Amino acid sequence: MGAVSDTIPDRDRTTADAGVALDDITVDFGGVTALEDVSLSVDEGEFFTLVGPSGCGKTTTLRAIAGFEEPAAGEVHIDGRRVTDLAPERRDVGVVFQHYALFPHMTVRENVAYGLRFRDPPGNVTDDERVDELLSLVDMAGMGEREPEQLSGGQQQRIALARALAPGPDVLLLDEPLSALDARLRERLRVTIREIQQELGITTIYVTHDQSEALAISDRVAVVSGGRIEQVAPPETVYREPRSRFVAEFVGENNLLDGEVTESAPPRTTVDGTPITLPESATVDTGDPVALCVRPEVLSLGESEMVSNATTLTATVEHREFLGDAYRVHCSWNDRSLLVKTDSREPPEGTVTLTVAASDIHLLSDSGR
Amino acid sequence: MVAAGRERVNARRWSERLAVPTAFVLTVAILALVFYYPVLSVLREAVVRAGSLTAAPLVDVLGDPFYTGVAHYLFTAPLSIPAGVLDWIRAGFPSVEFGLFGFTAFQAFLSTLASVVVGLPGAYLLARFEFRGRRTLRSLTILPFVLPSIMVAVGFLAMFGQNGLLNDVLGALGLGQVNLLFTLEIIVLAHAFYNAPLVTRLVTTAWEGVDARRVETARALGAGPFRAFRDIVVPQLLPALLTAALLTFVFTFLSFPIVLALGGLRLATVEVWLYARVQDLELAEAATLGTIETVLSLALTYLYLRYEARQTTASGGTTLPRRALAVGWKTLRDPVRIGLAVYGVGILVLFVGPLVSMVVESVTGPNGLTSAYYEFLLDQQATTAAGTTKPLPAIANSLAFGVGTLALAVPMGIVVSVMATRGGTGSRLAETLMSAPLAVSGVVVGLGLLQTLVFGTTVAGYRFTAGGALAIVVAHAVAAYPFVTRNVTPALAGIDSQLVDSARSLGASRFRTLLDVELPLVWTAVLAGGAFAFAISIGEFDTTVLLAEGVESYTMPVALERYIGNRSLGPSLGPATAMGTVLLLVTAASFLVIERLGGRWEP
Amino acid sequence: MDRRQFLRRSSAGVAGLAMLAGCTGAGEGDNGSGANGSSNGTETTGTGADSTATTGSASSGGTLRVATYSSFTGEDTAGNWLKSAFEEENSGTTVEFLTPENGVNQYVQRAKQGAPIDADLYVGLNTAELVRARKKLDKPLFQSIGGSLDGADGLKKPLRIDPKKRAVPYDTGYISLVYNENEVEEPKTFDSLLESRYEGDLITENAQQSDPGRAFLLWSIIAKGEENYLDYWEQLVGNGVKVLSDWEPAYQAYSDGEAPMVVSYSTDQVYYHGPDVDMAKHQLGFLNDQGYANPETMALFESANNPQLARTFMEFVLTEEAQSKIAVKNVQFPAVKDVTPSEEFDKYAKEPPETVTHSYDELAGSVESWVEEWSRLVASG
Repeated sequence: MGAVSDTIPDRDRTTADAGVALDDITVDFGGVTALEDVSLSVDEGEFFTLVGPSGCGKTTTLRAIAGFEEPAAGEVHIDGRRVTDLAPERRDVGVVFQHYALFPHMTVRENVAYGLRFRDPPGNVTDDERVDELLSLVDMAGMGEREPEQLSGGQQQRIALARALAPGPDVLLLDEPLSALDARLRERLRVTIREIQQELGITTIYVTHDQSEALAISDRVAVVSGGRIEQVAPPETVYREPRSRFVAEFVGENNLLDGEVTESAPPRTTVDGTPITLPESATVDTGDPVALCVRPEVLSLGESEMVSNATTLTATVEHREFLGDAYRVHCSWNDRSLLVKTDSREPPEGTVTLTVAASDIHLLSDSGR
Repeated sequence: MVAAGRERVNARRWSERLAVPTAFVLTVAILALVFYYPVLSVLREAVVRAGSLTAAPLVDVLGDPFYTGVAHYLFTAPLSIPAGVLDWIRAGFPSVEFGLFGFTAFQAFLSTLASVVVGLPGAYLLARFEFRGRRTLRSLTILPFVLPSIMVAVGFLAMFGQNGLLNDVLGALGLGQVNLLFTLEIIVLAHAFYNAPLVTRLVTTAWEGVDARRVETARALGAGPFRAFRDIVVPQLLPALLTAALLTFVFTFLSFPIVLALGGLRLATVEVWLYARVQDLELAEAATLGTIETVLSLALTYLYLRYEARQTTASGGTTLPRRALAVGWKTLRDPVRIGLAVYGVGILVLFVGPLVSMVVESVTGPNGLTSAYYEFLLDQQATTAAGTTKPLPAIANSLAFGVGTLALAVPMGIVVSVMATRGGTGSRLAETLMSAPLAVSGVVVGLGLLQTLVFGTTVAGYRFTAGGALAIVVAHAVAAYPFVTRNVTPALAGIDSQLVDSARSLGASRFRTLLDVELPLVWTAVLAGGAFAFAISIGEFDTTVLLAEGVESYTMPVALERYIGNRSLGPSLGPATAMGTVLLLVTAASFLVIERLGGRWEP
Repeated sequence: MDRRQFLRRSSAGVAGLAMLAGCTGAGEGDNGSGANGSSNGTETTGTGADSTATTGSASSGGTLRVATYSSFTGEDTAGNWLKSAFEEENSGTTVEFLTPENGVNQYVQRAKQGAPIDADLYVGLNTAELVRARKKLDKPLFQSIGGSLDGADGLKKPLRIDPKKRAVPYDTGYISLVYNENEVEEPKTFDSLLESRYEGDLITENAQQSDPGRAFLLWSIIAKGEENYLDYWEQLVGNGVKVLSDWEPAYQAYSDGEAPMVVSYSTDQVYYHGPDVDMAKHQLGFLNDQGYANPETMALFESANNPQLARTFMEFVLTEEAQSKIAVKNVQFPAVKDVTPSEEFDKYAKEPPETVTHSYDELAGSVESWVEEWSRLVASG
C-alpha cells in the first residue's frame, strides 16, 4: 500500500493540463523492476489504452495511477494535482477490474452507492437519484435490489462501471474489464464503454492485452513491453507505423523482412537476394541493414499494373483460412513464411504472384534485432 | 479535480487513518503490560543469577536425565554420544527414555492425533450435511472448552470409571469391562474431549469456505469425487487442520490439571512439575522449565505460521451444498451415513457421556436421587454470611467478563490479523510474538501477573497495583485474542484484493474498507473467534482469582472451585457438580445466543 | 452494603479503570495496598468509645485482617463463627478475611519483593509451609508469640511443632487410611500395603501439593526411616498405588469404587454415619497403630498492623468454646487438651492409638528434598 502523507497537493508543478501524467515512474517488486522510468501524459477527456502482453507492466502502471502501488521513483499527477503520496481513496479515480469485484454482501444499489458514502454526487442530485442515473446509464435500471451473484458477467461489469462512475471521479481506470466475458458480449460492451466515456468526457485509461480491442476504442494507445513504453500514438499510427519490432509484431499481423540497402536513391533493398523497392521517403544509405514491415493486407495477389514502384514476389500457397470476408493465406517464399490477406472471391492455390507497393512498406526505425 | 465540498468525510479522515495503527499500538501495549512484562519477569530467573547472565539453570535441567532422558548427554557429555549410539545399536535398539519432556511431548502427540481423528469427521458432518439442529450442534461444540478440568475429571470418572456408565452399558450388553482410569489412554481421551471440538470448529469453518465452483471445475476436468476432494478440498482444509493440530499440541503439551486429575502423578507432565516448583517457591527451576516449554511451543508456532503464510485460502464464491443427512431407507445402506452413525455413537460416549454423567452426579447423593446440591446453591444465594460464594453473582460476573472479553479480544485479534495479512519482512516473527499468549504456560503467566501487577511496583513514592474487573477482562482478552487472530487471518488473506482496491478507490479509507467490506466477508471467522474468546473468558480460572479485588468478583469456575472445598454437605463434589451444571447451562445458552445474534449479520 | 464496603468497591472500580492506579503512599505499606488503606480510616472513627469497654488489651479496637484459605470462611464455617463470636465479644472490632488463592506463598513472595503485606494474621498454616516461609526469606515472616498466649499451655504436646513458638496450632487432623471392608481386609502396617492382595488398591494424593498426600509421605518416612522410604515407595508404586492431585478427586475416586483404600482423615465417619450409610465403606486403617498429625496453625505476621488485636484473637481461638466450635465446623480435632467438641463428634471422630508427626526442626532442611525425590520416583515409575 502506498505511503500516506498529508502534504497539500502541489498545484505549482505544471504537467500541462494533462488528465493524468506519469513522470519517470519506477516500480519495484522485491528487487524485480516491474516498471522502469515510465512517463506518460494523458489528455483530459482522452480515452487512452495501455496494451501489451501479460506481465509487461500495463496493470502495474494502472495501479500506480490508482495508488495501489507505491512507485520507487517518479511522480503521478491527476488533473494537475500531484498525487504521488496520496492514499487511493484520496485520488478521485474510479476503477473497474477484470473480475468486477462487486461487494458480494451488498445489493446492486448498495454497490453503486458505496462511493457516495465518501463523496457527494456531482451535480445537484441526491444519492438515490445519482444511483438511478448511473443504473440507467449502464442500461441496468430497475436492477438495484438484485444481489451481485444473481447477475450475469456482463451485467456485473456494467454495475462495476456504474459504481466506479457514481462519485464522479476525475479519471476512470479500467483493468482488462472485458477479458472475462465472451467474444460477442465483449464487443458489445466495449462500444457501451466508449459511448459512456464520450458522453461523460471523462479521462479514461484502459488496460488490455487485446490489441484489436485497443485499436478499436482508443484515442491513443501506448504499447507496453518489459516495463517500458514502446510507442504512444493514435491507433492508426501504431498500426501503420510501428516504431519497433515489438510493436510491429504485437499490434496486428505483420510480415517482418530483414534486408540490406543496395541503393539509396531510389531506395532499394534485397531480401534473400530478391530486390525490393522501398518507399521514396525512406532515407537510407547503401549497406544499411533495414527491417521491412509488410502487412498481410498490402500484399495483393497477382500482378497489378496500376501500382507503380511495386515489387513482385513469387510464392507458394501452403495453407489458407476462409474468414468470410477474406482469405488468410499462408505462403512460402524463399523458405520464409509470408502471410497474405486477400478479399479475392477465388480461393488462391498453387504458385501465386504477390505484389506490394513501395509506399505500403514500413521501415522500422530500429532495424536491429 | 477534487472539490473539498464534495468530500463528506474529511473530518473523519484523520481519525480513520489512525484507527488501525492506534489500535495496533494499543494491542501491543496491552500485550506488553499484561503479558510480556509479567512473563518475562518470571522467565528472567532462568537466565539471570545474581544480576548476571548464566546458562547454569538451563544446563542443570537439560542435563538432568529425569527431565530429558537419554538426551541429557547432549548437554552433559556430547562427545560420548557416538559411542553411546553404537552401544545402543549393538544392544539391539532397546527402548529409550526421553524423560519428562519426552513423555510430555509423547502424550501431546497422541492427544493431537486423537483430537484430529475425533474432530475431523465432525467437521465433515457439520460442513457437508444438513439435518435438524445442525446449527445448534455447531454452537455447542465449543462447550468442552469452558469446562473446568475438575468437572471433566468428575464426568470422566463417572463415565469411564470402574463402576462408570460405560462399564454398566458394556456389562448389560455382555461385552465385558474396560478399565481406563489412571492410564495414558484416559488422558489422551480427555485431551481429545477438550481439543477435538477445536479441530471440528476450525475445519468446519474452512470447509464452508471452499468454493464449490473449484470442485465443480475439477470434476468437469475428469477428477472423481475422491480426487476432487484430495486435490481441491484438502489443500484448503490443511491450514485450518494444521492450526488446530498445532494448538492442540501446544495445549496438551502445557496441560496439567487434567493430567493430574485423571492420570495421577505417575503420568506427570512438565507443567505438573512446573506447578509443583512454583508451589515450593523454587522459582528459578520453575522459570527454567517454563522457558524451555515456551521456546519449544513458540518455535512450533513460528514454523506453523511460516507454513500458513504460504497457503492461500480462497474465499467467496458459492459454498459447497449440504446433503440431507437422513434420506429415508437409503440412509441405512449408505456406507458414509452408516460411518457417521457409528461416529455419532463414539461422540455420545466421549462427549455426551461425561457431560451427562456430571449432570447425573449433581442430582445423585449417597442414597440416590437428591436435590440437596441445588438446594445448597439456593442456600448460598440466600445467606448473608460474609465470604459466602453465591451462584448468581458468579453467573453475572462470568457473563460480564465474557462480554467484556469479547468486546476487547475481537478488535485486538482483528487488528493483529490485519497487520499480519499486510505481510512484510519479519512479520512471521512478529506474529509469533503476538501469538505467544497461546504458547506460554498458564502457571508462568499467573505467577508473573502476581509478581508484577498484583504486588505492584513503587514509582515516585507511590505504589501502583492493578486489579479489579477491568484488569481481569484485559487479562482474559490477552489470553483470548490469538484465537480471534487464528480464525480471522486466513480468512482475511483469502479476500480478493480487488474488492479492497475497489473500496479504496471509491473513497473508503483503509479502516472503512475493513469495516464495510472485509469484516462482513469474514464475519463467520470473526464470529468463530469471538465464540472462542467468550469461552476462554468463561472457563478462565487462574488469572481471575489472582486479579480479583476483594472477595466479590468471583466467576462460575471460581465458585465451583470454592464449593469443592465446602464441607457443609460433607466431603462431596455434589455442590461443585451442581455449579458445574449451572455453568454448562449458562454457557450453552450464551453460545446459542452469540451465534444466533452474530449469525444475523452474516452476509 | 455498609459504607466501608462501598468505599472499597468504588475505589476498586477506579483502580480498575486506570489499570495501574489504586495507590497508597509506599511508606504505609502495612496498611495494605490500594483502596484498602481507606477502610482503616473510616473504620476507626466508630470505635473510639467502645475500645475502653474492652477488657485487657489496650488497643483491641479496629480491624483485624486474617489471611486464610477460602473454605475457612463463608456460610456455616469455622471462620464465620469466629468472626461473629469475636466481634460480639470485642465490640468495635471487625474481622476481615483475605483468601489469597496461593495461600501463604502469597505473603512469602510479597515479603521477598518488598510488596506490602495486607494481613495481621495467617490462619491455616502447616509445618512444611512454615519451613518454606522461613527458608525462602532473609527475615522472618512471622513473630514469635506462642509462649505468652493465654491458653497456649493447654495445647496437646505432639501438636507443638514449632520450638520458636511462631505457629500456634488450633486444630489437627490425623491422616489415616479409609478402606472398604467389603473388599479388603484392614491393612495393619505399612509393609502389608506391599502385599499382592492389595495390588492396585490404594489411592493417595500428590505430596507436592496436597496436605494429606504430604502427610502420608512424611508418615511413611517416620515408619520406614529416611534411608528406606524411597525403596518402600518404589515397591508401593510397583504394587499399583495411584497418586492423584488432591484429596477431593482421590476421595471421589474412592467413593466411585475405583479402589478400596484411600489416604484420608480419621474424622471420616463424622460425615458418614447413620442408618442409610454402609459403614463398611468407612473403616479407618491406622497403619502401624499410628496416625500422622497434621496440625493447622496460626501465626502473627512480623509486620502486623494490629498485633495486639491479633493476639486477642489468637487467645480467643484457643478458648474451650472456640476450640469445640472449630473442631465441629472444620471436622478436625481440637488442638487444646480436654475439649469435647460434641457428643456426635466424640463418637465418630477417631484418634489414632499413637500420634506421630514431624516438628519444625525435623522438617527444616529436609522436607523439600524428601518430597522432590519422592515425586521424581513416582513420576518416572
